[in-house]
Amino acid sequence: MGFYLKDVPGIFEGLLWGLRTTVILTILIMAIAMVLALPLALARMSRQRVFRYPATLIVQVLRGTPMLLQLFYLYYVLPFAGIKLNPWLAGIAGMSVNGAAYLSEIYRGGIQAIDHGQTEAALSIGMSRYQVMRIVVLPQAFKITIPPISNQFIGLFKDTSLLSILTIQELMYTGQIMAATSFRFITIFSIIMLMYLAVCWPTATMIDVLERRLKSLPPENSPRRLKSRFM
Amino acid sequence: MIRLENVRKRFGETEVLRGINLEVQRGQRLVVIGPSGSGKSTLLRVINHLEPIDDGLIYLHGKPVFGRTADGHLMKVHDAEVRAVREKIGMVSQRFNLFPHMSVIDNIMVGPVKVKKVPPAEAFERAKSLLARVGLEQKTFAFPSELSGGQQQRVAIARSLAMDPDAILFDEVTSALDPELVGEVLSVMRDLASQGTTMVIVTHEMKFGRDVADRVIMMDHGQIVEEAAPDQLFTNPQSDRTRAFLRDILDR
Repeated sequence: MGFYLKDVPGIFEGLLWGLRTTVILTILIMAIAMVLALPLALARMSRQRVFRYPATLIVQVLRGTPMLLQLFYLYYVLPFAGIKLNPWLAGIAGMSVNGAAYLSEIYRGGIQAIDHGQTEAALSIGMSRYQVMRIVVLPQAFKITIPPISNQFIGLFKDTSLLSILTIQELMYTGQIMAATSFRFITIFSIIMLMYLAVCWPTATMIDVLERRLKSLPPENSPRRLKSRFM
Repeated sequence: MIRLENVRKRFGETEVLRGINLEVQRGQRLVVIGPSGSGKSTLLRVINHLEPIDDGLIYLHGKPVFGRTADGHLMKVHDAEVRAVREKIGMVSQRFNLFPHMSVIDNIMVGPVKVKKVPPAEAFERAKSLLARVGLEQKTFAFPSELSGGQQQRVAIARSLAMDPDAILFDEVTSALDPELVGEVLSVMRDLASQGTTMVIVTHEMKFGRDVADRVIMMDHGQIVEEAAPDQLFTNPQSDRTRAFLRDILDR
């Protein structure tokens, strides 16, 4: 029951596989969510109700109900409607869509924070609305949304522990299984804690650096200072 | 080249343009003066359809482009048609609105390259020569935030020129500038005027307006209250409103 140093290497190794799964799941879910979030955000801002209303409904439902409940729903309720998902699919789909709802609000905030004069200037030189978004608005919005997106990313990394209830063997569930058979609670959960922290902290620092670099102007001898981006 | 026929525009309850008729010929410089809130900016914004009009008709090169046709229907304008108009009519606004994430040269090239599909190398050469024309060659790869307001506005003018527009609309382009930076922007515009660029200029710089204008219109409460040659309008205004407005401005 107590803490024995000699247990650490074995437990560490056993948990490492779970950590690997957690990291892969996080990256996969985040990638899907970031893609899904863009059309959702644009639909939320659309002038056409056929886009705006459903998007608003989706976002509000996903933000207004617990993620744990959403996962339960996908895995335990949908089978009654004849849709049977395996735990992985349910987990990845559920968390991606949920993440997309939150990210879409972050995107929307970022896009709306860009001065409307930018849009008008771009329209005035004949750009299409799509070009205005892609060339002028989104690149600027991207920079200001890095901090909230990174928050979301770190939150997601920890929230993947929810997938343990779908019996997906990520870090948390791996630890629970090991603890249930070995009773090394202190050692196991302490190592798990350090593992989460060991990923989150450096990630946050890296994103800070990235943000600072993107926000500052290109340095003296960078390519941006020497040639046009269109050449 | 640009003609407005009985153009009306309202924002909610307020009618900001109340039946505007005017015509700008190729190579002409039309200067628009008037108190704030008189509809000057809106007048420019309806020409390139940043604001759709409620009534009347706008012609470009003799063809109706926006507005209500003779049979009483508002013209349905497609995005592509609006873009075609905007390509032909440049606009420079009070707050420059350079794209902050692009270097000066890219700000100028983005229109030609992305909208007109000009080969980048060609667009680059042209952008360089435009920068020389506005006196900012040495700022080719600078970013907007590294420039003074006057320099940014000159880049904005070059960005507009890069599209080779048939006319350029200037919306109080010196109003946001520190007084000592106004001169450099006006001198670029004088240069454009001397080369026969078609310009519609909303300005509070009366001396400048008088110097470059072929014709001046005075607006108040969404209407044109006086239209005349610059010497006539500035020295011997016919309308009381114009007289009062000029007195207020010149007394400052």
